[in-house]
Amino acid sequence: MLERIGARRVLLIAALAVAVLVGTVAATNLQSATIYYLTPSEAKARNIPSKQIIRLGGQVKAETLKTSFGSPGQATFTFVITDGVEDVFVIADGAIPGILREGAGAVVEGSYLPDGTFHADQVIAKHDEVYTAPTAGATPLHRTGFP
Amino acid sequence: MSAGDLGGAALRAALFLSLWGTLAAVYAAWRRDARVLQSARLAAGVVLGLLLVAAVSMMFALATHDFSILYVAENNARETPLFYSIISLWAALEGSILLWTTILAGATAFVAFRGTLAIPRLATTALAVMFAMLTFFLLLVATPAADPFARLVPAPDNGNGPNALLQNHPLMALHPPLLYLGYVLTSVPFAYAIASLIIGEGGDRWLVATRRFALISWGLLGVGIVAGAWWSYAVLGWGGYWAWDPVENAAIMPWLTSTAYLHSVMVEEKRRLLRSWNLALVIATFALTILGTFLTRSGVVNSVHSFSLSAIGPLLLGYLVAILVLSVGLLLWRSARLRDAGPIGTPLSREAIFLFQNVLFMAATLTVLLGTLYPLVAEAISGAQLSIGGPYFDRIEVPLALALLFLMGVGPQLPWHGASRATLERQFTAPIVAAAGGAVAALITGTTALAALLTYALGGFVLATVVQEFVRGVRARRALHGESSLAALANLFRRSGRRYGGYVVHVGIVLVALAIATSQARTVDAEKTLAPGETVELAGYTVRLDAVRAVSEPQRDSIVADLAVSGNGASDHLRPALVQYPNSAQAVGSPGIGAGLRDDLYTILAAYDQRTLSWATIRVRVIPGVSWLWLGGAVVGIGALIAGLPASRRRAVRMAVAEAAAPAE
Repeated sequence: MLERIGARRVLLIAALAVAVLVGTVAATNLQSATIYYLTPSEAKARNIPSKQIIRLGGQVKAETLKTSFGSPGQATFTFVITDGVEDVFVIADGAIPGILREGAGAVVEGSYLPDGTFHADQVIAKHDEVYTAPTAGATPLHRTGFP
Repeated sequence: MSAGDLGGAALRAALFLSLWGTLAAVYAAWRRDARVLQSARLAAGVVLGLLLVAAVSMMFALATHDFSILYVAENNARETPLFYSIISLWAALEGSILLWTTILAGATAFVAFRGTLAIPRLATTALAVMFAMLTFFLLLVATPAADPFARLVPAPDNGNGPNALLQNHPLMALHPPLLYLGYVLTSVPFAYAIASLIIGEGGDRWLVATRRFALISWGLLGVGIVAGAWWSYAVLGWGGYWAWDPVENAAIMPWLTSTAYLHSVMVEEKRRLLRSWNLALVIATFALTILGTFLTRSGVVNSVHSFSLSAIGPLLLGYLVAILVLSVGLLLWRSARLRDAGPIGTPLSREAIFLFQNVLFMAATLTVLLGTLYPLVAEAISGAQLSIGGPYFDRIEVPLALALLFLMGVGPQLPWHGASRATLERQFTAPIVAAAGGAVAALITGTTALAALLTYALGGFVLATVVQEFVRGVRARRALHGESSLAALANLFRRSGRRYGGYVVHVGIVLVALAIATSQARTVDAEKTLAPGETVELAGYTVRLDAVRAVSEPQRDSIVADLAVSGNGASDHLRPALVQYPNSAQAVGSPGIGAGLRDDLYTILAAYDQRTLSWATIRVRVIPGVSWLWLGGAVVGIGALIAGLPASRRRAVRMAVAEAAAPAE
């Protein structure tokens, strides 16, 4: 009987250990994995430091979407994302993705460069269940797309 | 009479009948009145019939493009092909809730006609619970909250068409209904658990009666989740299958608690332990399905603020809170009757491993829940929109999954109560050798990432335990009954379906784990802008762009890249496209996938020359082993079928006969 009670205690301690371990890892991870989703105005107000990964949502400003070839095979593209109040100049690697359209909503994930340009690691398609035109000053709804 | 009138009338009639059924079942359970029970049964049958009429009416309205119905106008267009018109039943909120309610009516009718035969008082109480839940959902669809037949006056000439993503792949026909079936069928074990608490039955009859439902809903949920991952892979065009999106998390959480339950239930059956715990797991599973519906259907995931705009959000939240308060209250009230029948075995007993496995599953569920709800809470408090990135989930769930994989090999190999040293040696020598073999296989194939390496080793470990079990089982039957190996194997499935079906499920899980590890560790990418005739090479494949074409169909316009693939023994033509639907601002990427057992060649048309179609940017991704993920999902489904169907059917028949022979309780 004594051994049995001991066994129960061992299990209880093991369960508690798992709970504490997982809880600690979860709590510390939550902070570092948090990605803020901001409009250009909000990003400016919060003074986001360069290198912090954020998502920036708004509209692709008309007549700003351009491809530029730095070195052969190394295409980059640039555009201005706007919420109707603030503009942010965005640069991203590769060819212009077919899902990106001038005047349509877009969400980009990446970070500010020291000069205030936004470097997008990924351009996220905006797909919601019922299509609604993006409104000025508000971030469009989105779902993660091509990385 | 139009389809809309018929459907709406059917729903309203069903609501009143369901109310009657609730009252009748409560009365029948309380007074043990067989005549009133008969009336409740009849009500359940008619409600199911009415809901089928409503669902078929909606499908008919969609197929005939009846735009006088708002739902049809919003989710259908004249150009939508028939197939996608019909499956648009679950393309948006109101139709999905209608499908949900129809399945729930089916489950209610099953409890009414089959369940109440087996164990009358418990099942009649459960029927009352089922009816109450059905009434809630009927309230949603028969009132403006989620009325699928709401009118649109005047009817427009053409509708908006389904969401671009939902009309781009036939998997859409499979994935949502499977998930909904899995979700809704969890309500049966829940109803029985609540019923056993209400009537104060201390035993585990509720659990025996609903074992099959628990297993089948678990299997459907699992297959539905894998089908969803497949859909995401084949439609969203990002080359992945799982993004820890809130919608995905909502589906995986009840599956995690349900998996925990399927194991801890064995501890209760064999050792009469963990009674309150099992009830809590069933309640948690059901509550998580409602939470998932709330998260995905109220729009709260996109923004806390959209929650207040939806009529259904507050109702679902109220329903969830009511269920939690009621269940936890009942559990506390009856806790004195739920004493365990003895102590737990040593840490090296099967029940201890199951218990530990349950702890890990709880940890996984709670951390996913935290990562899913945190953005909502943060937005509600600080107003800032944020999301929790995949790395949070990966860092926590991958180690938990590896630990669970290990326990999956250990648990079935240990006897109840405790194992001796000799038993340990006998059970684990071969699996440990196989684990080393798995690690070597990983190194040979160049899978050196730690998590992937461990997955291979643990995969070998678990597969060896399963093979060992089958070999021993077959040998025993050969020796005892003189059967051939094949007949012995068939009889193992037939006579101990639950045990050996469970092992098949374990094999499926190992395949899924190996596929995830392989594809995550060894995927390679390339992107190149090509003129026709030019090629891009990756991992032994050569992809040549033959042409960029514009294709026009009634419901959509596409730009298609014709690719010719050679290398690695492959000779294939792939057609990645960018598809433009009239109701969507952006084009939808439609990947061209060359699937294979060794690896998938995943191609995406990223960009193209919009003026003369003279070049295209092609993204190429070689994803090894990803097909095994879908195959593993199918194996899990087959295992769940073996474990769930035949043996329990025999048992149900035996139970029904025994109950019919015995006088009323």
